[in-house]
Amino acid sequence: MSALDILLVILRIAFGAFVPLSFVAVLVWMERRGAAFFQDRAGPNRANVLGFRAGGLIQNAADGIKLAFKEDIVPGHVKHKFYFILAPMLVFITALLCFAVIPFADVLVLGDKHYIMQAVPMDIGILWFLAVVGFGVYGIILAGWSSHNKYGMLGGLRAAAQVISYEIPMGLALVSLLAVYGTVNLTEMAQFQGKLLFGFIPMWGVVLQPLGVIIFIVAAFAETNRTPFDLAEGESEIVAGFHVEYSAMKFALFFMGEYVAMFVSSALIVTLYFGSFQIPWLNTETLVANARPLVILIMIGLPVIGYFFGAWIKKNNRSHYYRENDPRKKETAVYISLLWSLVAVTEIVLLAYLVFAHGGVADRILVALLQIGTFLFKTFLMCFVYVWVRWTLPRFRYDQLQKIGWEKLLPLALLNIFITSAIIVSFG
Amino acid sequence: MSIKVRTVERKGRTFLEQLYLVEIAKGMTVTLGHFFRNLLDNSRLYVRHYPEVQPEISARWRGRHRLTKHEDGSVKCVACFMCQTNCPSNCIMIEAGERLDGRSEKMPTRFDIDLLECIYCGYCVEACPMDAIRMDTGIFSVTSYSRESMVLGLEDLLETPGAFDEAEYKKGGG
Amino acid sequence: MLTTYLFFGLALLAVLGALGLIIFKHPMNGAMSFVVTLISLAGLYALLSAKLIFAIQLIVYAGAIMSLIVFIIMFLNIQEKDLPLDPNRWFYVAGGIIVVGPIAGLLINISRTLPATEVTVFDDGFGSVKEVGQLLFTQWLLPFEIVSILLLVALVGAVVLAGKRGVN
Repeated sequence: MSALDILLVILRIAFGAFVPLSFVAVLVWMERRGAAFFQDRAGPNRANVLGFRAGGLIQNAADGIKLAFKEDIVPGHVKHKFYFILAPMLVFITALLCFAVIPFADVLVLGDKHYIMQAVPMDIGILWFLAVVGFGVYGIILAGWSSHNKYGMLGGLRAAAQVISYEIPMGLALVSLLAVYGTVNLTEMAQFQGKLLFGFIPMWGVVLQPLGVIIFIVAAFAETNRTPFDLAEGESEIVAGFHVEYSAMKFALFFMGEYVAMFVSSALIVTLYFGSFQIPWLNTETLVANARPLVILIMIGLPVIGYFFGAWIKKNNRSHYYRENDPRKKETAVYISLLWSLVAVTEIVLLAYLVFAHGGVADRILVALLQIGTFLFKTFLMCFVYVWVRWTLPRFRYDQLQKIGWEKLLPLALLNIFITSAIIVSFG
Repeated sequence: MSIKVRTVERKGRTFLEQLYLVEIAKGMTVTLGHFFRNLLDNSRLYVRHYPEVQPEISARWRGRHRLTKHEDGSVKCVACFMCQTNCPSNCIMIEAGERLDGRSEKMPTRFDIDLLECIYCGYCVEACPMDAIRMDTGIFSVTSYSRESMVLGLEDLLETPGAFDEAEYKKGGG
Repeated sequence: MLTTYLFFGLALLAVLGALGLIIFKHPMNGAMSFVVTLISLAGLYALLSAKLIFAIQLIVYAGAIMSLIVFIIMFLNIQEKDLPLDPNRWFYVAGGIIVVGPIAGLLINISRTLPATEVTVFDDGFGSVKEVGQLLFTQWLLPFEIVSILLLVALVGAVVLAGKRGVN
């Protein structure tokens, strides 16, 4: 193993571990501000450090500090303390482990070496996801059971029954997808989606499997216990469900686990159905071949985006009431100067690339970075869909939930397998 | 008299509605419209920036209590105990003493209102024959760090001025 | 070298989990220690580079079947007082050791007499989804289909048995 190998291993594992974690902060922020905007409210916008509120992101830090310093209570009536403590860890770790097999860029070719851009280069891909997701249920069951509380028990039962029954349509939706892609390896699936259908439509899973994508997304919503399938928490009837007895960091682990799971399932939906890291019409080879014009395009595009973003900040980051020399105006000035310096630095780096380093390895790395950016952007959008759905739809009743799972999604998924395999056998 | 029967058409039975997805998409466009409206210009939010921007309170609002005074500055209250008797949450505590200025026989020497007990029903104001107790201070946010400071004495009650002018208050039925 | 240590670690965990399954009194403890066994078995399969079996062990046994069992245990909500008293438990354990001991000794003896061979790690193709699938659907098609029919029969039987109680 050369130094480069080790560096890339460290980079990949760091990416696999820290990106979901930092996305937790982004997602919590997106959930709260998004919820507020969907409901014509403002959301958390007061917490600040030296007057800088970063659009409400500082609120997350405040919440985190609060949770870390709260008293960590294990209620006296809890008999199986080991399981009580194990449960939140299981939920969190399984959610995090799922991300290990999701590729965030195409295979990186440096010289004659190939690096698979996954945290753990495993070729069973989607099977690993299914295996690990199954363990998340233990966390919920153990939490509900060891809490020794009626609400906790009911929440645990609901969550477990729901996750177990929605795993089936999810798995069946995957079967037809696997038949299309002909592989279980997620990197190969992503590469497959770089091709074009009839020469002009990107061959994304959503085009090839329109029914499968609906089934999979619905099942994924149910798997992550998000609205409209969040009966496990159902605060109106069972308070908070399986985490009703938890406090402080143990609760925080559940909370973060939920958001990591949301991020991972968004990443998976993107990988399976929305072209993963592929930029439509530009597959890896095209990107590498046309790196220079692309960079010039980006260099032109960045200031334009920066201009509009700055204008948006200026318009919205001010006090909406009379205030003697508004401190938020100063804050805005700092943000805008930060934005422009960021743009300037990026421009300089890209210029340096154009002048000194284009061609060969630099092109490959640039393309990999672009693909990581694309992947994260798509995942971010999918997470937004999660938030969007949560603040639009009411909760299903429990019998409706099971009915949809077993009576609608399951037959539909089976039908989808028949149709898909018939088409593959007759045309492919 | 015959009962009027109106048959209401049942909604949600067509195939498209049973499919959920179309209706969900419709609902989601509505919420997305709100999201972008607020994201692009957050001055359109239907919110009041509360601690800085205070709400406008009408004269009929039942806020924190106060005791009114005559023009010469003496207490209007005659310690008749009407308000204390009427109070459903027993938060008023009056001790009467002799009145020496000739307006009446009694006056309160102690008039405590425990704001932690008070439910702001306004019965004391209605019961008062002298218009001596009013809830027109316009103070709606009563907070404190200790229980003791939530009990208002005679002095505190007399100190606070009314937030509205007399005509406005009278118009409110007080 | 690492694989040897991993093998011993996983094997030890598997045996400990199996022991726990027998010895623990509370069913939840038993079920969870059995989960440990299943996971370490999956690890052993992975050491043999049987990737598909590894994944299926995790998905089907550790993921689905055991979570259903744990679910049922939770559903029944078994308390300490519901458990049988079982005063002679250790007596049974001792008896079991006496009965099983000679057989275990025999097995150890057999494994000692096995000729020592070098372990060869198979290449990437072995045990992957494609290889196993091709084998299953060509060479082992008939047994595979028979097993599927068996499972179908079991499924229908379960539905019939469960449905009967409701009719009355």
